[in-house]
Amino acid sequence: MGNVVQRQTRGALRFQLFRKMAGLELLSDQGYRLDGRKATELRKFQARMGVFAQADGSAYLEQGNTKALAVVYGPHEVRGSRSRIRHDQAVINCQYSMATFSTAERKRRPHGDRKSTEMSLHLKQTFEAAVMTQLYPRSQIDIYVKILQSDGGNYSVCVNAATLAVIDAGIPMRDYVCACTVGFVDETPLADLCYAEEGGGVSSLALALLPRGGQIALLQMDARLHQDHLEALIEAAMTACKGVSKVLDQVVRQHLQEASVPSAE
Amino acid sequence: MIKTERILHLKSCRGRKVRVVREHYLRERVPCYSSLCQAGCENDGKVLPGDLTHYVIPDAGVSGDYLEILEFRELQGIIFTQTSCQGVQHSKGRRQYKRLRNLLKDPRHDCVPFANEFQEYSYCPREKGESQEKWQTRCVYSAAVWYYNHLAGMMDVVMITEDQEAVAQYSSLNSGVYVISVQDYLRNFCPELQVAHDLYSSISQALQEKESEGTEREYTEHLPGELLEAGIKSGRYIQGTLNVSKHRAHSEASIMTDGLSNKNTDLSWGVLVCGGKNRNRAVHGDQVVVELLPKSEWRGKDNTLAEGQGEEKSGEESGSKPMPTGRVMGILQRNWRDYVVTFPPREGPPPQTRNTQRILAVPWDHRIPKIRISTQQADALQDHRVVVRIDSWESTSLYPNGHSVRVLGKAGELETEIQTILIENCIHVPPFSDAQLKEMPVNSAEKPWRMDPAQVAERRDLRESHLVFSIDPKGCEDVDDTLSVRSLAGGKLLELGVHIADVTHFVTEGSLTDLEARSRATTYYLADRRYDMLPSVLSADLCSLLGGVDRYAMSVMWELDAETLVVNKVWFGRSLIRSSYQLHYELAQALLDGEQAEVPELAGLGSEEKDSKLAQLTQALEMLTHVARHLRAQRDRGGALELEGVEVRAQLDKDKNITALVPRQPLEVHETVAECMIHANHWVARKIQETFPHQALLRRHPPPRQEFFSQLVESATAGGFTIDTSTNKALADSLDQAVDPQDPMVNRLLRIMATTAMSQAVYFSTGLQSLDQFYHYGLALDRYTHFTSPIRRYADIVVHRLLTAAITMDRGVDPGKALASNKELEETAHHINNKNRAAQQAQKISTELFQCLYFKERDPQSDQSCVADAVIYSIRDNGILVFISEYGVKGPVYLRNREGQVVAVGPEGSCEWQSGSVRRYSDHISTTSSCGTSTFRLFDHISVRISVRSTNCHADTLTLEVTSNRPLLSAGPQQPRSQGRSQLVQEVKRLAEEAAQEKAARKPKVSKEEREFSQSKTPNLYSLLEEIRELALLDLEGGAQVCETTA
Repeated sequence: MGNVVQRQTRGALRFQLFRKMAGLELLSDQGYRLDGRKATELRKFQARMGVFAQADGSAYLEQGNTKALAVVYGPHEVRGSRSRIRHDQAVINCQYSMATFSTAERKRRPHGDRKSTEMSLHLKQTFEAAVMTQLYPRSQIDIYVKILQSDGGNYSVCVNAATLAVIDAGIPMRDYVCACTVGFVDETPLADLCYAEEGGGVSSLALALLPRGGQIALLQMDARLHQDHLEALIEAAMTACKGVSKVLDQVVRQHLQEASVPSAE
Repeated sequence: MIKTERILHLKSCRGRKVRVVREHYLRERVPCYSSLCQAGCENDGKVLPGDLTHYVIPDAGVSGDYLEILEFRELQGIIFTQTSCQGVQHSKGRRQYKRLRNLLKDPRHDCVPFANEFQEYSYCPREKGESQEKWQTRCVYSAAVWYYNHLAGMMDVVMITEDQEAVAQYSSLNSGVYVISVQDYLRNFCPELQVAHDLYSSISQALQEKESEGTEREYTEHLPGELLEAGIKSGRYIQGTLNVSKHRAHSEASIMTDGLSNKNTDLSWGVLVCGGKNRNRAVHGDQVVVELLPKSEWRGKDNTLAEGQGEEKSGEESGSKPMPTGRVMGILQRNWRDYVVTFPPREGPPPQTRNTQRILAVPWDHRIPKIRISTQQADALQDHRVVVRIDSWESTSLYPNGHSVRVLGKAGELETEIQTILIENCIHVPPFSDAQLKEMPVNSAEKPWRMDPAQVAERRDLRESHLVFSIDPKGCEDVDDTLSVRSLAGGKLLELGVHIADVTHFVTEGSLTDLEARSRATTYYLADRRYDMLPSVLSADLCSLLGGVDRYAMSVMWELDAETLVVNKVWFGRSLIRSSYQLHYELAQALLDGEQAEVPELAGLGSEEKDSKLAQLTQALEMLTHVARHLRAQRDRGGALELEGVEVRAQLDKDKNITALVPRQPLEVHETVAECMIHANHWVARKIQETFPHQALLRRHPPPRQEFFSQLVESATAGGFTIDTSTNKALADSLDQAVDPQDPMVNRLLRIMATTAMSQAVYFSTGLQSLDQFYHYGLALDRYTHFTSPIRRYADIVVHRLLTAAITMDRGVDPGKALASNKELEETAHHINNKNRAAQQAQKISTELFQCLYFKERDPQSDQSCVADAVIYSIRDNGILVFISEYGVKGPVYLRNREGQVVAVGPEGSCEWQSGSVRRYSDHISTTSSCGTSTFRLFDHISVRISVRSTNCHADTLTLEVTSNRPLLSAGPQQPRSQGRSQLVQEVKRLAEEAAQEKAARKPKVSKEEREFSQSKTPNLYSLLEEIRELALLDLEGGAQVCETTA
């Protein structure tokens, strides 16, 4: 036990050393982050639902400088190979991509590279947990998400955008799916990491939550973290997700209001 | 939910020509940390007082260049804006920035941070085409204006900048916000602070100097950081700490590699860096990156005795073969500290003009290169010791540039030299401030201190039930340990108690006193004075477990089986005690030996009562001795080492009043007390380690590297003994057997050499080491810590807090406050280790200083006391290393001088210089000259003459010269030996005192603090014993007085 802990701590120390060498101070002594937020504050949200008429549902979401577009088609009959048909539920098909202009350097991003395949898979798992797929047997729901500008927390922004798009499409869900990335710096969890923070050698964790029931749809983490801190980090992530869900709820209600006023006349 | 507005903020980060867009959130409420605040800011932590005349806001340039001035505590109400903090970080590097951060955290210093760039109204975005400096100045100005408005004009705000344009541009924009230069500020607002003025002029001169630097290149440029890092990762370069050789500072330095490159066995001994060009401006202690030279250019270390070489380095034997050699490619981290330099005397007539001159000042530490200082006071400062800081070292200059900070005084004066020792070891011991003293409880004749009834109820009361007594050196004031012992259950059980002063009751965590104690980490003992860790009201009074008064204590009590002495039960807790007897060692020993002794506490009683009490006390002492013997034997079985070097310290530190009474060798009762303390420390270590497996502060003593024993083994083999160094047990046993019946010195020397080979014992946090690393090699215990001297060691205070928390948790109560995490604890441990090392070093150097002062008074040719008996303990290429027991001096004796002459021994044993040659063998060295061949064997006794070699710029050193190859028998070796060292100290002290009095007569008065701190008080002898035993000093001078009576 002692040994394991020791190695982990050393790992964490080395990370910190690395970060110090890079000269970034992610959390100042006064408790400010690089962009002026406090540890638990989220970035500014801006969202619109129903941005495309052709698709069944669509949404555009800005979370700070990360901007994503999500489009939903379906439910419709299963296209492509028949073998994928599920007789008791709908199949969810997700595709994640990044625009060539989404980062500081323009880069061609072919479909089907490892990173985006993995991300697509994660999205799929998340929404399979949230969408009431049993209502649409033998059908398929397509969710396409594109990152237009990337500034950290791509996964969580995609999930949030896709949630709005699914709602726009009128597909029943158990709850909003809200996601947030949190990082751990100087014994403090930071909510909603931006790109500079993600790159700064922080142990980050992404969490997708169904806030009302407190169920976790997806939890992903591939950094080192002392096990003592994990609970605190997850706790912080859940709080952040609940914050996100309030914002999403507001967006949806406002959209409904806008949509219903003209039709009533 | 989200209170902030977002403003997009463009930053083109030029590194790889990418444009990075970062968000920047502004908010209305940013705490201002001023007690005048009307807006209800959330000011937690340090707050600026409202009764100042103004607040000061330095701009980025001033914060960077003149931070040292801003560090003066006399300057109050300083606001560091975020802009200037970041400016410091970018332009001055991590070290300077860390310094600024520490300053902001330090509650003793009156300054606060202000996050101006996150404040909605004080933030100003950078305009197109605006230079970085201009923008920073504008930001700081707008922050100044914000402050003025925020505090509703109640406080004037002064912005200080070195930018004259800014002064012109902004000074008249707003009333109440003044913009002035640093010089004007100092002149107007603190004209009486002369030190700051001097420092200002010296820094600004250094800055000007830098601008007018020549262009001729003396060194190759350092590589940029990314290249270095890439090189280290790829294995092309090696990273390590530069360690300049003490004796060949100009030519030789080595890189101690960090643990990372251990795979390469070639490099385990470090990398050699030869010559100034290869060293490339690195200074001793810097973190550097080296590139290895091709194998053909590898060289070996020099193995001859160099001028001034005082001690041997273990492992140097292997040095003569070529070892990896490299050159410095770049510097990762400078490790510049304050240096003491001496301004050299001027040659030739003084110049007519009083212009700025550049002076090459010589640092006191040999390992530091000369420092160039430009000053206008060059004449006044001749032969003075001055504290300087290095500013820069450009590739165009042969020497680094620096500026002077403070003048210490004339070289050679005692006060100056003592200050030099303190500064060179980074020891800062300012007098305790009023704010700190205000925290202290009062105990005066009018207002005696009383115990708190709540505490009385909470603590276990041992005042009536237990016979508690302390044993310390005579005249001791800070009694931090007391003992008690009694039999229970009709003699079947024994109860042994160790009661330690409850310092943590008085020193709460985070208080000013605590912070000060933490930064001092230990009480510093110099040869003639001491600097306390805690204010004297605690250390000498309320915490001190004096006789006959009620005191709080932290107790450890064991219930032992009376027969087998096995521990049945152990109890830890807070208690109340009243020490019945405050014994001293000699008295206790006398009682034990059944001699007639007068116990002062019993003086007034009738003879019958007296006898019964005396019997009770004597019985307790006997019981204690019995238990201690058992404990010692137990540890001996485990392999505890008995190392040499005990008495000299005791002799040295004693007050002159009690000279005659201090024993020549430790009494058994010393050992008894020490053993009880070790036992207590061990059990406390077990307790806190079990309760807090990842965050307990323990002390470990790693086994020494076998290579370091090579000298010991070699010398022993030459003397016909075998030493087994495989384990501590084997070493202890073989040391016990290596006794020469004719000469007790031999065993002593071997023990001293074994001590030299030991590694240092260190504090550590249990979370960072695996369990098998906890072992204490010297004491042969699996877990150990320091618990018994909280008055003079900070580590003990930490351990006391841990123990308190552990006791609280045992009761099932949450300890409330969060304990220091593993990381914090490790930082603390690291800090304490550093300070301990500095304290030892300072003590050692101050002893050497006194030795030199002693011999300076004497004429080496005529005075008998300058000739002494010495024992050869090591053989070198051109000389021998000897140990002089009479004065506890170790040093080299050259058998060949610079002219190539060698020592020839005449018929009467007298020696003279003649031309000839020297040959070295494993166990002896012989010189051949026209008079024939003479041989010096290992462990031979010879006579040497001691003289002082004075240098102006460095510490004086003793030189030894052989006068005869026979032992010195004159003047009866027994008598001076017992007294020699103490005489020496006494003598020097007397001289110093005389000088001080003379000075006092001339000058008005020595400051009050000075008088207060220069008085010498006797430290606890147990502490000294323990110190040497466990620290396993690498300190050779720790070797000591001969113990004549062993034979």
